[in-house]
Amino acid sequence: MDSLALKDDYGTGAQVTQNSLQLIAFSIGEQTYGVEITTVREIRAWNGATPLPNTREYVRGVINLRGTIVPIFDLRARFGEGQTSPTKNHVVVVMSVGDKWVGILVDAVSDILTVDRNDIHNVPEGNTMDTELLNGIVTHESRMVGLIDLHAVVSGAKVDG
Amino acid sequence: MSDLDDFKATYFDECSELLTELEEQFAAIEGGDRTSDRLNAVFRAIHSIKGGGGAFGFSELVAFAHAYETLLDHVRDGRIELNEPVTALCIRANDIVADFVNAAKSGTSLGAGYGADERHQFDALTSGNAPAANSTADGDDESGPPVDEFDIDFVPVMVNLEAVGPVPPAEETAMDDNFAAAPLVADKAQWEIRFAPHSELYARANDPLLLFRELANLGELTVVARLNEIPPLADFEPFGIYCTWDLTLVSPTATAAQIAEVFEFVEGNCDLSIVPLAPRLAAGRAEPSLADLAAIVTPDAAEAPAETISFADLADAVKKDMPKRAPPAAAPAAPVAKLLKPAEIATDPAPSMAAEEDDRRTGPEDRRGAGVQSIRVDLDKVDRVVNMVGELVITQSMLTQQMDDTLRARYQELVRGLEVLAQTTRGLQDAVMAIRAQPVKSVFSRMPRLVRELAQKTGKKIKLETIGEATEIDKTVIEQLSDPLTHMIRNSADHGIESPEKRKSLGKPEIGTIRLSAEQAGGNILIAVEDDGGGINRERVLEVARNKGIVAVDTTPTDEQIDQLIFAPGFSTAETVSDISGRGVGMDVVLSNIKKIGGSVHVKSRTGQGTRMTLRLPLTLAVLDVMLVKVGGSPYVIPLSSIVETIQCSRADFGRAPSGAKVLRVRGEYVQVVDLATRFQMLSDADLGNRFVVLCEAEGGVKIALIVDDIIGQQQVVIKSLEENFESIDGIAGGTILGDGNVALIVDVQGLKATKLHKNAA
Repeated sequence: MDSLALKDDYGTGAQVTQNSLQLIAFSIGEQTYGVEITTVREIRAWNGATPLPNTREYVRGVINLRGTIVPIFDLRARFGEGQTSPTKNHVVVVMSVGDKWVGILVDAVSDILTVDRNDIHNVPEGNTMDTELLNGIVTHESRMVGLIDLHAVVSGAKVDG
Repeated sequence: MSDLDDFKATYFDECSELLTELEEQFAAIEGGDRTSDRLNAVFRAIHSIKGGGGAFGFSELVAFAHAYETLLDHVRDGRIELNEPVTALCIRANDIVADFVNAAKSGTSLGAGYGADERHQFDALTSGNAPAANSTADGDDESGPPVDEFDIDFVPVMVNLEAVGPVPPAEETAMDDNFAAAPLVADKAQWEIRFAPHSELYARANDPLLLFRELANLGELTVVARLNEIPPLADFEPFGIYCTWDLTLVSPTATAAQIAEVFEFVEGNCDLSIVPLAPRLAAGRAEPSLADLAAIVTPDAAEAPAETISFADLADAVKKDMPKRAPPAAAPAAPVAKLLKPAEIATDPAPSMAAEEDDRRTGPEDRRGAGVQSIRVDLDKVDRVVNMVGELVITQSMLTQQMDDTLRARYQELVRGLEVLAQTTRGLQDAVMAIRAQPVKSVFSRMPRLVRELAQKTGKKIKLETIGEATEIDKTVIEQLSDPLTHMIRNSADHGIESPEKRKSLGKPEIGTIRLSAEQAGGNILIAVEDDGGGINRERVLEVARNKGIVAVDTTPTDEQIDQLIFAPGFSTAETVSDISGRGVGMDVVLSNIKKIGGSVHVKSRTGQGTRMTLRLPLTLAVLDVMLVKVGGSPYVIPLSSIVETIQCSRADFGRAPSGAKVLRVRGEYVQVVDLATRFQMLSDADLGNRFVVLCEAEGGVKIALIVDDIIGQQQVVIKSLEENFESIDGIAGGTILGDGNVALIVDVQGLKATKLHKNAA
């Protein structure tokens, strides 16, 4: 019995070893991105946000997360592809960046992926937006998953003057 | 380990309280109040710090505190006069003790030499003035670990229980005669004090010896330690309490209250009984006869068998006294001729004392009850209550808003209920805020030291006056106050007050004055730092501001605007005005700190006469009264305290300034207009005529007219920080959560005005 149970574990559970990384994958249009699962605090449906004045267009505003004010960043807009027109089906992934909590507006959350750290490739030089906002690229089941650099995503949100 | 850490944390808490008390006591002493109460309080504080420090092994602290304590002891005894140099030395010593405490807290060492100067002065004072105590004091100070000197007669008396049998009946017969014959010769009042410390007493670093010393100041004191509880070594617990004391105080003047006061600090940590004795026993009868004893013992036995606790002891005492009462017990007590222990105990239950006995029973209990008038509560717990009450207030106001006229007409009971709820919530909120309110004294009391240090560093003569220390503000505001005040005072001392020579030549008193005051004005607290120095050097401020591009070369700001420039961001310390003449040290820090807590700063300066900086602070950070408005479809709130009036745009009298900017004329005044939709880059679809002007007053009485799309109503909100998860935004003071769960932004009236000024200027 014991061995069977063990076998089951092998079969279904994702094997997390020291060298592997668990990601939450989400999509914006056709593109898949991921963030390390440990940074994700919660996932909630889009329910509107109060716009913040004098901020970049990718700052969608702030929401009330159980009494704390959390800013929402529009990842599509952050990649320069124009603002998302969010519906109830859009998703906000709340995560922690340093000691702050931020929400990222994405189209949908697709999966939890386990990838090997050795499989993470550098972002090819060329597109500054990509090199700035991505930590690396990993291939999972022949899909390309961009690893989001959260610190970069949330920086420079204020419009000066 | 964690236990010890807890104790340490408590110790440091207590230290900071004690150090504050030291400051206060010395402020009073400096002010001419030289009563012994003050000195005793100082002594107690230093001793507590030393005691705790010893327990944790902060040897540097203990060594210094001990030397200081020796000095204080001499002062208290009158061997050293508490004149000005000594007071000044003590104040310096307090600062050094504070430094040692801080060093101990951070786990660093100040080095053995720290405070050596002061210690030499202590030694010089104590040895020079008190030749008699010379040897002991010196010996103490120099020879390593401090040892308290015993300077009162302390007579341990062994009580041997097994040695005796029951009271012989023969004695009982003698009773009647003796009792009746006992003459009530009033000579000196005598008190019998039984003192049985609990372990907490020692845990709090109290020392019975000090209490006894204090008692000895009241009169002639005899101390007898009861050691019969001490177990065999095998059963001996190191932290066990095995020793109690019986004390006899002979004093013509002492009252029960005075005696109780000595024990004030250990109240609740010991069993204490203070009983007045029949004066007849004090009439110099050194050796009461055994017959006397028995005489007095037995009536008690008959009257209140086994009820009084003292009876058992009493019996012990009598038993002990019987076989060997003559030389062994009395001999060591020879210097104090009135060792009457057994007799005194015996007198206590005497019928004539019945009334007092009652007093004694209830007395200490009542006092204890009355003494516990405050409790220590973790601030986190209070904060949790405050936050919840804040949310409650908001829910309540949301509920009230939900009531429209139809509902009101239909559910009158509900309406009444809501009204009561509103009242109760308000009351609850006030009560909770009162818990967290603290007198500003806790911040003000840190400033004298700062001023002393600054005076020393700058070579100026400065005195600090404080007014309105009792003004209470929310603790969270107070915490934010310390840094800004430090900066402001440093600024006043550094740049405001002139050197003594210059002041003399200007015909000013040599000693500069910095006045720190606090007062409540409506829903605000005003805290002012005022100096009688030279005022702001406006020319240089303007020069620097122009060089830095903060002010355009061709504009001429008013004096007031120039004064405010010292707070301008970018007008930072390093490259501003020269170190000596300019102002601007850390002032941007002051402004940002104060703005963070919803306050504002105003500066007023008169050349040659001084500068006054006023902080206007909210009474509480918990709840803010606001007006809810709409701008471009989003909710914003404007603090009610800054709103003067609201006007419908269609009725407002707009004009155009020569520069093309919109101005509003209201009651003969022209006011700068800020369209919030434009300012916040929002699209407003509202018709201008349907929009509203909210006339606000920013700091310094400057008005500003904000145009909003709609006014929704008034309500109370809890301020939430934007910076916690994002960053601050110009023109926005923070966020808040509305009844419907949405976030509204709080308009920063002061900030809107300020950015405008700089934009115009540049």
